[in-house]
Amino acid sequence: MTATRPANGRRLVITRWSAISPFGLGRKAFQEGMRTGRKTVTAIDGEQWSAPERRACLVPDFSVRELLGKKGTRDMDRVTGLAVGATAQLLGDDSGGPSIPTGEGTGLVLGTTTGSAESMMGYTRTSMRKPKPYLVDPALMPYAVMNCAAGQCAIWHGLKGPNATIAGGPSAGLLALVYARRLLASGRAERILWGAAEEFSAARSWIEHHRRGGEAVDSVLGEGSTMFLLESKNDADAESDYEFERQPLADVIDVRSRTHSRGAVRGALARCVSDVLERNGVHPGEVWAIAPSGMQTQYADQESDALHDCFPRADARWIQVTDLLGDTGAAGATFQIAATLSLAGPETAGRVAVITSVDRDGTVACSLIRTRGEAR
Amino acid sequence: MSTVPLDMMPGASPRRVVLTGMGVVSSIGIGVSEFAASLRAGRSGAGPISQFDTAGFAHANGCEVTGFEPERWVSHLDPEDLGRASQFSVAAARMAVADAGLTTRALAAERGLICIGTTDGESHDLDRLVEMELRDGPENMSATVAGRVSPIRLSTTIAQELGLTDVETSSIATACAAGNYAIGSGFDAVRSGEADFALCGGADAICRKTFTGFYRLGTIAPDVCRPFDKDRKGILTGEGAGVLVLEPLESALARGARIYAEVLGYGLNCDAYHQVAPHQESVTRCMELALKDAGVDPRDVDMISAHGTGTKANDVTETRAIRDLFGDNPPPTVSMKSMLGHTMGAASALAAIGCALALTHGFIPPTINHVTTDPECQIDCVPNEAVEAGLRIVQNNGMAFGGNNAVLILGAYEDEVNS
Repeated sequence: MTATRPANGRRLVITRWSAISPFGLGRKAFQEGMRTGRKTVTAIDGEQWSAPERRACLVPDFSVRELLGKKGTRDMDRVTGLAVGATAQLLGDDSGGPSIPTGEGTGLVLGTTTGSAESMMGYTRTSMRKPKPYLVDPALMPYAVMNCAAGQCAIWHGLKGPNATIAGGPSAGLLALVYARRLLASGRAERILWGAAEEFSAARSWIEHHRRGGEAVDSVLGEGSTMFLLESKNDADAESDYEFERQPLADVIDVRSRTHSRGAVRGALARCVSDVLERNGVHPGEVWAIAPSGMQTQYADQESDALHDCFPRADARWIQVTDLLGDTGAAGATFQIAATLSLAGPETAGRVAVITSVDRDGTVACSLIRTRGEAR
Repeated sequence: MSTVPLDMMPGASPRRVVLTGMGVVSSIGIGVSEFAASLRAGRSGAGPISQFDTAGFAHANGCEVTGFEPERWVSHLDPEDLGRASQFSVAAARMAVADAGLTTRALAAERGLICIGTTDGESHDLDRLVEMELRDGPENMSATVAGRVSPIRLSTTIAQELGLTDVETSSIATACAAGNYAIGSGFDAVRSGEADFALCGGADAICRKTFTGFYRLGTIAPDVCRPFDKDRKGILTGEGAGVLVLEPLESALARGARIYAEVLGYGLNCDAYHQVAPHQESVTRCMELALKDAGVDPRDVDMISAHGTGTKANDVTETRAIRDLFGDNPPPTVSMKSMLGHTMGAASALAAIGCALALTHGFIPPTINHVTTDPECQIDCVPNEAVEAGLRIVQNNGMAFGGNNAVLILGAYEDEVNS
């Protein structure tokens, strides 16, 4: 079974993107960081963070109020600030074509792990500590619900189309992409702002610490948010890039996930990758970049083994985002894609990048991206 | 089920999608028959909350699931490795598959989607981690509990329990409309041919965080939930799971499956207005989008299952939004939350199952605890007692924090000859 066009013959393209990352604010900082391979790990302030780690990859000097101003940000938590900020940057990007319309035609799909564990656990902590258990701050309640960041992005930017929060681990960005593609293919939005956000926090850090069995590991936690503009047209209307008002930076050829159980990640991921290659008639030789999730979990070796199984002779470039940005949780896959776009150039025009995610909670995912000529 | 990979065929027409299996974990019944009987009888799931320490709250009623034995449904996984919400979702999925007359072996041969909506994920376990932290220090939190808190587990554990590998698993964390979101995603995936079946719905477990938040906002009723009543006092937090099996009509007919309902369409939109307050115009618009997607005229809707939380902000806004679209004589509009409490991410999934049962068995579930209709809520809420009614088309509303609205339209299945 080989076909060249999945998803009912529609082209799905990325036309804009933005990032707030440990490299700094904005797309240019991200590109510069990726191109120079700059490490971002720093010692963290023990006063500010009561976390088990001493090092992390933080967005430098990140302050919600400095980024977004004082209005409407008094109680805003870090993950919401990251997402709203990345969305603001995306919508404010005036390069390469007309500005992005908002309103009913524009949806937003955001990947997350569990919203803000810090806000959720903080709410309970306050309740348990106060003399009366209900003496919590009502203004903080919306932040203790997982869809807060996506809802705030919509409120801040007037996005009245479908607004969804997709929960995953490192795979969240790809699962959100699947969902965004489904909304576009079903005609439920004209364009989707798709991305993911993850914050560093003491709560997340302690949960990770215990999930790893309390042992010290090499990896450090990272954070940030990436947002992409995703647009779609029927093949017949999209034979040339000029049919899109905004210049396509990459085609999303396909994205697909499957599950693994009892640690059988290698086989599940190899199957997932070979499925998408076969479904789309992509030959391993077309692949110029392989961007794995690269988590320092018990499954790290299995991910790279699976990719070596699928691309035994490939001279593709391996893009290891985690080495530079740490374990950015739900933002991971979107950073992998942003990294791929940052490193693409005229020599990779029309060639394919493979993005993979391994989620220890039971899923693997793979996306194929065909990069265009311009590195943006 | 179907073996044609429809998404590989440009120009292929969309498939009709039907609902053939349902699984329920709720405060008014575990399993679809008990749930149906309770909806018809107007049973209340309200009672004192036992899942967390309620000392210091002046009142703490909720709608808890009682008599739930996870080991009856969870056999391949260790129930200890599942949070309470995941135990509910896995149990409901097992029931739904059995109810559809499917085997896991048959499902394993197909491409599937497992999609579970949730408000709180495993916040019940996050509460426990905080308790451990305050008691023993953060370095002494339980690794087992920390390992269960990721909300994606609400769907991945279903796949692992059922032994399904060629499935997309996804959890939609779009708060109190999440169940409808998940059903909508399943509908789109099956309709387009992207998936051959979908197990979709919602799950949540009662947690201290959410109870406390609503309590602080003054929206927890002291005793029971009275939607649309002039003396309403607010919501009761509830818990449970509802999972639906969706498949193409063609495969349901081929295997002689019982068809509860046809999914006709749905609508999604976002108020982009306020974090917690609903927005009337936008809610109307969402219902309009759903009906348009379903190809249904508002005059043909026989019943509305309202979001109906039992707060003034919701009930008045929702009623007005309904009247804006349906005119002065809207169809009977009921709130199953009067019986189930607000089961958060499970709410619109359980209500969708209630809608399908209403279609199948020909009755309208009541809005219980009702004494005097609020003059600002001019609808027939079918107070206290179910009524017999032949229904063809029903609408299920879901509205969430963040202004996330999702409305689902179900119809009685009618074959080409009769329709």
